[in-house]
Amino acid sequence: MAALLTVEHLTKYFSGLAALDGVSFEIREGEIVGLIGPNGAGKTTLFSIIAGSQPPTSGRITFEGRNFTRVKPFRAVHAGIARTHQIPKPFHSLTVRENVEVGLRFGRGRAAADSAKESMEILELVGIPSLASMPAVALSVGDLKRLELARTLAARPRLLLCDEVCAGLTESEMQSILGLLRRIQSLGTTIIYVEHNLRAILSTCHHVIVLNFGKKLAEGPPEKMQNDPAVIEAYIGKKTEV
Amino acid sequence: MNPRAEPVGLAARVLRTAPPLLLLAVMAALPLFQLGPNSLKLLFLTCVWIAASVGWNILGGFAGQVSFGFAVFFGLGAYTTAVGINQGISPYLTYPLAAAIAALASLLIGLPTFRLRGPYFAIATIGVSEAVRVVMTNIDFTGGSSGYRITEHGPFRQAEHYYTALALAALAVGISILVRHSRFGLGLRAIRDDQDAAADSGVNPYAFKLAAHAIAAAFTGAAGGVLARYAAFIDPEGVFGFQRSVGILLMPVIGGVNTIWGPVIGGGVYGLIEEELVAKFPQFHLLLYGVLVMLIILFEPGGVVGLFARARRFVLRRRVASWQPS
Repeated sequence: MAALLTVEHLTKYFSGLAALDGVSFEIREGEIVGLIGPNGAGKTTLFSIIAGSQPPTSGRITFEGRNFTRVKPFRAVHAGIARTHQIPKPFHSLTVRENVEVGLRFGRGRAAADSAKESMEILELVGIPSLASMPAVALSVGDLKRLELARTLAARPRLLLCDEVCAGLTESEMQSILGLLRRIQSLGTTIIYVEHNLRAILSTCHHVIVLNFGKKLAEGPPEKMQNDPAVIEAYIGKKTEV
Repeated sequence: MNPRAEPVGLAARVLRTAPPLLLLAVMAALPLFQLGPNSLKLLFLTCVWIAASVGWNILGGFAGQVSFGFAVFFGLGAYTTAVGINQGISPYLTYPLAAAIAALASLLIGLPTFRLRGPYFAIATIGVSEAVRVVMTNIDFTGGSSGYRITEHGPFRQAEHYYTALALAALAVGISILVRHSRFGLGLRAIRDDQDAAADSGVNPYAFKLAAHAIAAAFTGAAGGVLARYAAFIDPEGVFGFQRSVGILLMPVIGGVNTIWGPVIGGGVYGLIEEELVAKFPQFHLLLYGVLVMLIILFEPGGVVGLFARARRFVLRRRVASWQPS
């Protein structure tokens, strides 16, 4: 299958500190790709650059064969790249349904004529239809995560960037979100999924990319990554003789 | 509870649209009651201020970009109409011209200042506004600091001025309602809450802020034009002064920012008391406004509309508490 997204030698410096250092990979259409790595590995920075929230220091991003290296965030959304934030960023004064309508009416392509009905369908998909008329400011963390996902899905992305959508959720909440991601993927959306929970990654992803200190450490099928000595070392540390 | 339950149907729509139309009808009928020239003047000023206040709210309320620089648009509108009338152009043609020039100025000001956010944007607008005032004070063509007189032939018809201002205010409210319920308005509200999240959802914040600024400036400029023709004399201190900017910002704050009717209520209150306050406390009245703004921000940031909403919630809660299942 053709590459949907190509990242070449992506580098990002924050005043001397390399958050990303020459990262390259390809994302094929229709996959769920896990992006893992210890804290500070550069996962969220990578997302921000792909989504256009920050410019890279150097390197190149190609989406559907077009150069997307320094794309504006709203243009990325219009082209079909949409992200969730690790810490949800809802529109506080808008109701839950209006939050989703922002995604619907400003996302890729043209929204359906009845955006109120469509936003309710998306809220049902993520499991919070009963909160539709609540102001977003009143939501719990778990529900905010669902709202964040709902608003992002409403933009009809071709490439969905999910940043730790399961962090802080209970086991059953996590299972329902993972099921949702698989369903979204089966409907034709490619997903890059940042996650600390390895079990979530193993059960969901087709392919895993491991980052550490801004560099790509390894890449491959999830079962193989789980046993890769370099990956284990990055997460747990090296065995030393006492 | 059905989350989709919103008042729908013909009855609800009539209930929603009737009060504003009734208000407009009453306002339109008022000159028939042989009001004195002073009362009519107050009503005229009220309509002028409502137009400017509703305009400001589209940027400052809906989009959340608080500007202290709207005197620029008010003044440019006033001078455009003044010069236009003296050049023999029909006053009614000068108003759209005043609106257009104010909108154009808003783009020039917005292009650099909308790179800034929050308080930094607010401070930048003060700087631009003061710079424009100083320039206008030194332009000889319009008389500089000594002001500019408008010479119009024909009788002075106060009712005509009033109806012009009323039409402008009604148009401003109408556009404000349209914006509020449009896709554009939804984008502005998203920007108000979180500009970065709005961009991540596909809203172009820069373009949307520029557009909101232009619409707001157009109404403020037209209001300046309408006032200039009535006053027949304008000077930079009066129409470009910092007091003017503060006055325009004050009205929506009093009434309730980011609402449809807050700026209308605020403009009404300001229009009716401003003249009296200035006459009674020529030095003191700005201090009164300062205290008022502090009280509003401390106790009811929603302004008069917020106060109403709070009272309504209070009454509803009392009713729920006293409700007995039969």
